[in-house]
Amino acid sequence: MKRLGIVALLTAVLAAPVVRAQQPRPWHQLSPDEQRRAWENYRRYQQLPEHKQRSLEERYQRFQAMPPQDRDRLRQNYETYRGFDPGQRQEFGQKYRRWKSGQH
Amino acid sequence: MMRCRRATRWMVTALDGELPARRRRALDGHVARCPACRHEMATTAAVLQGVGGLATSSEVPGRLEQATFRRVRLLAAAEAERAATRAWWMRLRLPALGFATAVVATVAVGLMRGSGDRPLAPRPGDGGRRVVAQAPTKDKPPLVASRERGGPQATATVPAEPPPELAAAPELFVDLPLLRNMEKLEHFETIRTTTLDDGEEQSNG
Repeated sequence: MKRLGIVALLTAVLAAPVVRAQQPRPWHQLSPDEQRRAWENYRRYQQLPEHKQRSLEERYQRFQAMPPQDRDRLRQNYETYRGFDPGQRQEFGQKYRRWKSGQH
Repeated sequence: MMRCRRATRWMVTALDGELPARRRRALDGHVARCPACRHEMATTAAVLQGVGGLATSSEVPGRLEQATFRRVRLLAAAEAERAATRAWWMRLRLPALGFATAVVATVAVGLMRGSGDRPLAPRPGDGGRRVVAQAPTKDKPPLVASRERGGPQATATVPAEPPPELAAAPELFVDLPLLRNMEKLEHFETIRTTTLDDGEEQSNG
């Protein structure tokens, strides 16, 4: 019984940060810089077609449901992608289309 | 023969490089013939490029942040002290004055960040290029302190109360550039190691 209690306690302690990390933060918990970027992205989002908006919302739900390490990996990959020069980006786009066509 | 409605529906997917080659060719053919769709495609490309170029994070000096909050606290304290000595009818105005102080402080933060007096730290891949926030001008609102690359110009003026859609899922919009490229990022390494051994991509644009 005592062992079970220890396991439950450990599980709760270890899971707590994960649960916290997966909770989306409300607006007032964003930093001023995040609020500014969110506002600017929101304005751009409004200019997108409706089906694209829906697609982004679905991706957001999927992103939120990911384990923190997977989200970190995506953020890291995005930073690498952002760092590409135009030539690298074009090449990556070509490779993406090639990879994508192989998926079907 | 493709119609404009269908062409418009396919544009974003095409610009993301996700439209199958056959459809892409049909779309390109239509766009080549239709000036309205050509214009629409260029506009959509500009919007998507603007979104894609946004940073998911940017550096704000900790000292600036601390100094700003200190200033806000001082302003609020001074305002409260002054208000305490006023007549009762003036005291009724205190909430409005406090709100105005907060607005002024917010604007001050925005101006300080956008004043261009401090270059931001370069990001990996910038090739040592530093990004400097630009001061607002009459014809040009302040740009995001990131690698803005065309698209609609953005303003740093954030509303005190966000629209419901934004308030409901603020992180969706913080991470929007990442979400737009999510599939590429999920399979990043696989895509990077994909080989290009023929010219098939050329026909895909």
